[in-house]
Amino acid sequence: MAEDFITGLKQIIEHLKVKDIMSQDPQTLTPEKTLWHAKEIMRLRKISGVPIVDEGGKLIGIVSIEDIIIALEGGYIRDPIKEHMTRNVVYLQPHDNVETAMEYFERYGFGRFPVLDREKKLVGVVTKEDILRGILKWFSTVYTHDERRNNVLESDYYYRSLITGEPLDKKGADFAFEIDYTDVNLAGVGAAKLKSFLTEKGLPSDTVRRISIATYEAETNVVIHSGSCGVIYCFLSDSSVKVRVEDYGKGIEDVELAMQEGYSTAPDHVRELGFGAGMGLANMKRFSDKMMIVSEVGKGVIVEMLFYFERSGDSGNPKGNQNP
Amino acid sequence: MTLKEVAEILDAEVLTGHEKLEEIEVEQVAAADMMSDVLAFSQPRILLITGLNTPQVPRTVSIVDGVGAVIVRKHMVPQTTIDLAKALGIPLLHSKFSMFEACGRLYIRGLKPVESLS
Repeated sequence: MAEDFITGLKQIIEHLKVKDIMSQDPQTLTPEKTLWHAKEIMRLRKISGVPIVDEGGKLIGIVSIEDIIIALEGGYIRDPIKEHMTRNVVYLQPHDNVETAMEYFERYGFGRFPVLDREKKLVGVVTKEDILRGILKWFSTVYTHDERRNNVLESDYYYRSLITGEPLDKKGADFAFEIDYTDVNLAGVGAAKLKSFLTEKGLPSDTVRRISIATYEAETNVVIHSGSCGVIYCFLSDSSVKVRVEDYGKGIEDVELAMQEGYSTAPDHVRELGFGAGMGLANMKRFSDKMMIVSEVGKGVIVEMLFYFERSGDSGNPKGNQNP
Repeated sequence: MTLKEVAEILDAEVLTGHEKLEEIEVEQVAAADMMSDVLAFSQPRILLITGLNTPQVPRTVSIVDGVGAVIVRKHMVPQTTIDLAKALGIPLLHSKFSMFEACGRLYIRGLKPVESLS
């Protein structure tokens, strides 16, 4: 179990970049200021080092707590920074993996690393705390309404079912449809095609209806919210239908909030089309037997829904239960 | 009540589905501008009354297994909406009445709301 957890953690770390976790706009000083200034900043902001930049924002050195202690011992704390700063700075780049950052902490033993872009300009700072916070934040973007959450974290979710954890052969999907997000009037075309497909396959009409409604909502969400293309996949088995809708767009900031009925971030022009009432995710949950959603801001949304059916006697209401 | 009677009561122009107006029986009606509401609360075989005139109207009716749609209040219905209704086999009516009046006229003639909303 612990090993599974660590494997899951490793997979997260592989996807995380330094730019995703670094603190932006770090406190800096110019080399003309004194070491005393640096000491005050460290004391007040409870940080262990201050990057030193030139007028153009390029990193030219760093002052660490160690430098300050030595300056105090040597009695030159009022000297300008440029005379004593560490000039050979080990730094990270925005696209480095967090794994690299962790290796750096281990190898060099520093408390923080500046992050520089290609022009050597300072764009951020990374501490161990940032890494921890980054990982925790990643966890919080993964949400589900049941305990299957762990399965996602422990698997490579792009290639596995969110609900069952089985590997997904997307090319072998029984139905696939690419969502055109450029024309809002086309929202629902995929759901309509899926509906005819499932009807042809002889599924009970009430099941087809549930699947079509939930897929329509998922597809509309991609068109309205993602700002990117997406795909609807459908996998059939003897007693269930799995629908998976993926996009590569903006993602959802707070999935828990988005699940609430009536919550919507849709713009007015979308409301004029009859959507954006904040019912989308709630409807998907209502009409599916199992639903799981994974999202990360800036990387997209994956919604997976499972619908069970019997070849006869399927109930017409959502999940066969009472009216909402 | 048949869809043909609905069309008469609402003084509606029949945009698509002329050939089956007399066959289709209507018992329940849902009136909404939010398609998500329709998706959430509708029953199969409803007639939809809506102030929308986009292609989403026939598409939503088709998805929920409705029997047809009446577009109210709008001056015109875009050709894309009509074409889609035709392709999906959804009868589409266009009435000049307001949503309120259209609903009222049908209600007093005995049509029922969707059960879950009553």
